[in-house]
Amino acid sequence: MTRKPRETSVRLAVDLGGLPMANPVTTASGTFAAGREYADFVDVSSLGAVTTKGVSLNGWEGNASPRIAETPSGMLNSIGLQNPGVAHLIECDLPWLAAAGAKAIVNVSGHSFREYVEVIEALEAAGTADAYEVNISCPNVDAGGMTLGTDPASVQTVVSLCREATDRPLIVKLTPNVTDICEIARAAASAGADALSLINTLLGMAIDARSRRPVLARAVGGLSGPAVKPVALRMVWQVHQAVDLPLLGMGGICTGTDAVEFMLAGATAVAVGTANFMEPAAAVDVVDGIIDYCEQQGVADVNELIGGLRC
Amino acid sequence: MAPLVNEHASILQNRPVGPGLHLLQLHMPVIARQVQPGQFVHMRIPGREGHILRRPFSIYDSDPEAGTCEILYQAVGSLTSYLPSLQEGEVEAIGPVGRTWSALERFREGSATRALLVGGGVGAAPLHLLARRLSEARLPFDVVLGAQTRDALVCLPRYERLCAAAPACSTDDGSFGFAGFCTPLVEERLAKGCTADGNPYDYVAVCGPEPLMRIVCGQAEAAGAYCELSLEKRMACGVGACLSCVVETVHGKKRSCVDGPIFDSREVVWA
Repeated sequence: MTRKPRETSVRLAVDLGGLPMANPVTTASGTFAAGREYADFVDVSSLGAVTTKGVSLNGWEGNASPRIAETPSGMLNSIGLQNPGVAHLIECDLPWLAAAGAKAIVNVSGHSFREYVEVIEALEAAGTADAYEVNISCPNVDAGGMTLGTDPASVQTVVSLCREATDRPLIVKLTPNVTDICEIARAAASAGADALSLINTLLGMAIDARSRRPVLARAVGGLSGPAVKPVALRMVWQVHQAVDLPLLGMGGICTGTDAVEFMLAGATAVAVGTANFMEPAAAVDVVDGIIDYCEQQGVADVNELIGGLRC
Repeated sequence: MAPLVNEHASILQNRPVGPGLHLLQLHMPVIARQVQPGQFVHMRIPGREGHILRRPFSIYDSDPEAGTCEILYQAVGSLTSYLPSLQEGEVEAIGPVGRTWSALERFREGSATRALLVGGGVGAAPLHLLARRLSEARLPFDVVLGAQTRDALVCLPRYERLCAAAPACSTDDGSFGFAGFCTPLVEERLAKGCTADGNPYDYVAVCGPEPLMRIVCGQAEAAGAYCELSLEKRMACGVGACLSCVVETVHGKKRSCVDGPIFDSREVVWA
């Protein structure tokens, strides 16, 4: 049964760095493909946006299996940005999302500065993305990904290059695997990002004591799910104070209350990721939960919540 | 393919049936009506919130009129070891997920004339619904079952009711049937090349531990029979989105959840 959020008089629309969203909820890249796989469960047009799986110029094979491990209240993944390349996204996925009436935030990946720009150029030529999320934070690839996102100078370079390639809303996705996320946030802001999204997964590991081997083929992977929520909240709160940019908060969001906590910490919008695996209509549940909270708390406009933490 | 549902299924029965083996009967009328042989449900097990991921369980049997499905599972990990304690209440099941065995289609087309079903351990479960469909359609098939012990051959009585000839069985400890793995039984049948009524096997379906499936696929291919296997990899979403459960194939990586779990043996690239 396809679900959408319930009717409400609460104003839910937000503006994420120039991307108007009907409500503050999108999906976290890599957990929702390009929406089609969830179409039996979620009316994708009823979400604030769908954030698509990271896409590179040509297809990537991704990592060896096993690619996931369940950990207490979370999971590790090491998919390695497997994707069929930007042409497939342009030909198959973005038209489907457009026909379904959904907004598309396209998560862009690359092995080099040049590749990020080429992916954006291809998407610009097609003109079907509503916004870009530049992925400089994937922990599961050797080149590009997190290696870019941990060095302020590299962040500045790649974001500047992407900025030159598009006038559409440019969201930069940050890794939590740094000493000071605010330093990286400032680098992305100064290079022209319209918004920041955080957090990507936390680098982690699982070991099988009996076999004395790592559980994941690549030994390490990215931790996500409810286990990372406190870390994500802390980082959203810190970055909100450090830069004057709208934030897309994520990390273990399963309920409307979780989402509200991120908004209070400073997020303008939120992404639901691992929770999609737990409950396929989780993103709708989160919107409904935000509505419940606002109605119960007498919040007329969801924008009142942004950065509303009392401390 | 029928649309996927996330059905709230009530537990009707959950009882031990063999060593580490349990039979779970669920009331889930939508899935019970739609499920095809070889498909599975991706189940969220309540009461263990620290375990965030669902687990795939293949459908052992279904009764569309009663709206029930049965699942035969082995208590192995911490979650499936906890599952037997759930004697009532609800689980959430996404389903029916995945592709079905192509046997019935192959019989219809005429490319299959006699099938051999090979189940190792709990791998006998995903083949049972196929055996039922073949039996209902009066299509010729034979069954080989392997298990560690006689007590673990829990599917045997049901298969006996469906098969014209008694299933050939093996046990690792020799407590029932052939002593050893079931692969020599498969070899013998395929090598004979024909059965009493003169039909060669031109379709083989296998489910069980991967080393077993690999051997049986090789045996079937050597005998010139089309062979399918059921591959289940560690999965997160269960709907084809997350790319956790990929299988190496000659056509690149495929998702075991929705591109499988049933694969053509010639497609699979073994590790």
